[in-house]
Amino acid sequence: MENSNGQVVQASGVSRRFGEGAAAVDALVDVSTAFDRGRFTAIMGPSGSGKSTLMHILAGLDKPTAGTVVLDGQEITSLDDTELTKLRRDKLGFVFQFFNLLPVLTAEENLVLPLSIAGRKPDQAWLDQLVDTVGLGDRRTHRPSELSGGQQQRVAVARALVSKPTVVFADEPTGNLDSKASSDVLRLLRHAVDDFGQTVIMVTHDPAAAAHADRLITLRDGRIVHDGAPGSADEVIELMKTID
Amino acid sequence: MTSLALKSLWARKVRALTTMLAVVIGVAFVAGTYILTDTTFAAFDEIFEDSLAKTDVVISAKDEVRQESGEVPSFGADLLPKVKQVRGVSVAAGQIFTPGGFFDEENEQIGSKFAPKFITSILPEALETQTYTEGRLPRDASEAALDQDAAEEAGLGLGDTLKLASVERVAAYRIVGLTRLGDASWGGASIAGLVLPEAQRITGKRGEFDQIAIAAAGVSEATLKQRVERVVPSSVLVETAKQNAERNSDQIREDIGFLRIALLVFAFVALFVGAFLIFNTFSITVAQRIREFGMLRTLGASRRQILSSVVIEALAIGLLGALVGLLAGYGIAVGLNALFVAIGIDLPTTALVTKDRTIVVSLLIGIGVTLVSSFIPALRSTRVPPIAALLAIELPHSRRRGLVTAAAAVLLGVAGLAMLLAGLFGGADGGAAAGLMGGGAVVVILGVSLFSPRLVRPLASVAGKPLEIARRLTGRLARENTQRNPARTAVTAAALMIGLAVVVFVTVFAAGIKSSIATAVDESFQGELVIQNSDGFSPISPRTAPAAARVSGVELVSSLRAAQAKLLDGGGGKPRVSSLSRNADAVLNIDWTDGGPETLRRLTDGEAILNKSFADGNDLALGDRVRFLTQIGAKPELEVVGEFEDKAGLLGSVIVTQGLMARQFDQRDDLIDFVKLTPGADAARVQASLAALMKRDFPVAEVRNQQELKENQEEQINQLLGLIYALLGLAVIVSLFGIANTLALSIHERTRELGMLRAIGMSRRQVRTMIRYEAVITALIGALLGMVLGVIFAALIAQPLKDEGFALSYPVGTLVALLVFAAIAGVLAAIAPARRASRLNVLESLQYE
Repeated sequence: MENSNGQVVQASGVSRRFGEGAAAVDALVDVSTAFDRGRFTAIMGPSGSGKSTLMHILAGLDKPTAGTVVLDGQEITSLDDTELTKLRRDKLGFVFQFFNLLPVLTAEENLVLPLSIAGRKPDQAWLDQLVDTVGLGDRRTHRPSELSGGQQQRVAVARALVSKPTVVFADEPTGNLDSKASSDVLRLLRHAVDDFGQTVIMVTHDPAAAAHADRLITLRDGRIVHDGAPGSADEVIELMKTID
Repeated sequence: MTSLALKSLWARKVRALTTMLAVVIGVAFVAGTYILTDTTFAAFDEIFEDSLAKTDVVISAKDEVRQESGEVPSFGADLLPKVKQVRGVSVAAGQIFTPGGFFDEENEQIGSKFAPKFITSILPEALETQTYTEGRLPRDASEAALDQDAAEEAGLGLGDTLKLASVERVAAYRIVGLTRLGDASWGGASIAGLVLPEAQRITGKRGEFDQIAIAAAGVSEATLKQRVERVVPSSVLVETAKQNAERNSDQIREDIGFLRIALLVFAFVALFVGAFLIFNTFSITVAQRIREFGMLRTLGASRRQILSSVVIEALAIGLLGALVGLLAGYGIAVGLNALFVAIGIDLPTTALVTKDRTIVVSLLIGIGVTLVSSFIPALRSTRVPPIAALLAIELPHSRRRGLVTAAAAVLLGVAGLAMLLAGLFGGADGGAAAGLMGGGAVVVILGVSLFSPRLVRPLASVAGKPLEIARRLTGRLARENTQRNPARTAVTAAALMIGLAVVVFVTVFAAGIKSSIATAVDESFQGELVIQNSDGFSPISPRTAPAAARVSGVELVSSLRAAQAKLLDGGGGKPRVSSLSRNADAVLNIDWTDGGPETLRRLTDGEAILNKSFADGNDLALGDRVRFLTQIGAKPELEVVGEFEDKAGLLGSVIVTQGLMARQFDQRDDLIDFVKLTPGADAARVQASLAALMKRDFPVAEVRNQQELKENQEEQINQLLGLIYALLGLAVIVSLFGIANTLALSIHERTRELGMLRAIGMSRRQVRTMIRYEAVITALIGALLGMVLGVIFAALIAQPLKDEGFALSYPVGTLVALLVFAAIAGVLAAIAPARRASRLNVLESLQYE
């Protein structure tokens, strides 16, 4: 389990039903899959396909109606709030569509926020490396409002990486960015996977974003309908057409 | 996490400032109350100590039962030679210190008529502590000294004429000296000094002293006191200067201690209102920060960390608010004093006193109120799930919770009502009953506030109706907006509700008192005119009545005398004992429950007639024997021979003969003289001649007709009402900040929606109007609820007073005016938020996330 290519997240028979009775909606139906350490996976699918729900459940943010999720050897669907908090501190990193930086903190303070919350001291060398990688440079002390969208999202990615989590979950990380900023952010994620051995699971509906991944899982109506290498952006577009 | 909490607080500093203001105002009120009352007490202490600076031992008459008029018995001057012979006495001198009236050459009162003024005798230099800032000591019976402040206030100087009047007589003096004592200001009080024989003559105390001051030579105060005690009779009290000053200080604290409690009650109202504002602001900010809390949770923040970040914010606001409030307390102290001076309560002052207790209490209250009122929103913040970072969610209001809240509201309402009723009818004594009733009112208000979200919908429809008719869509939107989040509107309105409930309660109750007094005066009093001391409570000369009776057009004058005594055996407080002239039934309409006019006419010195409520309260019946302790220590035992009801409160609790009143109660002066006119006499002309007589011979006395008597009472009640309104004003201001704050926060929330409305053609003006109407509707909801509560409280508390002739009357005009006032207040509160909303940039608001 601890070898570099071991499976770091395993979902088995995961189903998620919202609502009850006639109004019930099955967002996920018996989904089983696993994610390798140090790989970059993209999850795609049309609206309502269950891609976001899958990610929420894999990250312990939502609980499945049936099935189990094992993250780094730990079954997480039955954890209580305290155990989940510890899990998030130690093993999870998040990147959001709307950056979610705290406007009252500087870029660097935002970057080290997960460590501050956990009461840990940042490793200065690692921090410098991150700041360097993100290209924050002399903007360390700037507030989010003084940064461009792309810069903010790169800070958000660095924040997800700072605690060296087992998995980074990214939810539409380029959904709110122009194409230049998007590709910067995606290259940053790619870099994290390639150079730091980071595991990244990303939900997106941007074919160009998916093309940066090592693997593409496609969902429709709560089921996995495709699982393989994404190929180029155009190939992803073609693939998506067959699904819609 | 702490620094994060403080930083995010700083980022929302305008919002935090408004929240803080709620703490500041409440704490400032508390601190100001303590600072003012501590300062007043300190000033009195200073005055007492200063005046005895050169005195070691003081002799005064024993004052067994303190009188409302503050008069203290005097004692024989023959004591002085005996005292002078005591070994260790260096100087001993008798002194006069008697309340009186001060007038200028035209017989016009100097200073406020309620302010204490004393006629004193000057002491030998070895004992005198007043210093002369101008002029010299009076040397003969035609000269007087006046304290400098009083002289300045009245525009009098050396050589001017000062008229002094005691109950007994009036005389004119030439001012030859202006005096000063220590550093403390006496407020409205003033002192005139005369040579001893003249002071004795004018006060009617020839051969008597109010006090003997003694300076020691070579012995301690305590030793000298013991030696003096051996040569004086037990009817006088010997004290060291320190004991005397302390006794006087204690008495003052007892006399005006109620002031502190009354002010703290108003401070509590302001704090209570502030708590609602704090609760609301925190609730809204927590709701607006759901995404932020969710994000922090995904980054690994625990529930406890989220909770503590909110609590730290509250702590910071509370601490800062308390500190600023403490400082503002000095301003409040000065302001309150000015307010008191304005209504004629001019208390002594000295350098402002800040006790450690004031600081500790202010900080505790500021922090405590903020923490308690932000606790529920803080708990709510911990229920934000991490997924809130990714999804737009609202914290759910479950149906069950709604039901639990409603049940709790009803429970609180019932419990509060029970407490109120227990306080009213439970027979607990003064303090406990007041506590129960106050506590009950607070609990009822909490219950109503909890329940009020359910009332927002119908009330907003009612309050919004006229606006909808006036401005169709804008009014409609405004009304819908207030109904959108009923809990928020309800809490905002509740803050105003509290202030208004108290205002309405006081207004209705005061209207009841006024009309009851008017009815009582009409019913029980047949004489056309009364003669009273102009301060309303001090006695007048017994020679006033015979003099008045000689005025043409006067048929007869009947006088009433009164003294406070203690009921012995069973101890029922300090009843007022009255005595009436034999001709009283010609002017007074006594409501007999046992006996009749002949009971009064045949009353002997061994008998008493009791007020029915006093008799019932002390389980006394006809034929029982009662014993009283009087001011001079006498203990008359009397048989109960009659009972009466007294709605006007003129006759006090007990009626005895005038002979007994003079001998055992030491009261020979009149409190009120009732004048009956000869049939057909011109009332106005008789009143004018009586007034002229009083001005000439009895300047402390004033003639009033029935109408003026009622107006005078009404005026006093109105003055008190004015004071109470001013004190409640602070609480109302806090609730207006609450409305402004809630509006500003909800506008912030609705940025995108407002942008949309502007994009489809709503004008800036329409946006402003809409926001303003929202405030008006919210204010009206609070006002309506407050009125209902206030009227209910007044009606409840009036119940047990019905026996005493208290009837409620509803001042409809005033109530309507209060509604209008609430609406205007809403408009004022909306100024800033409405402006902000109308200035939103349409494009930016639409893109606002």
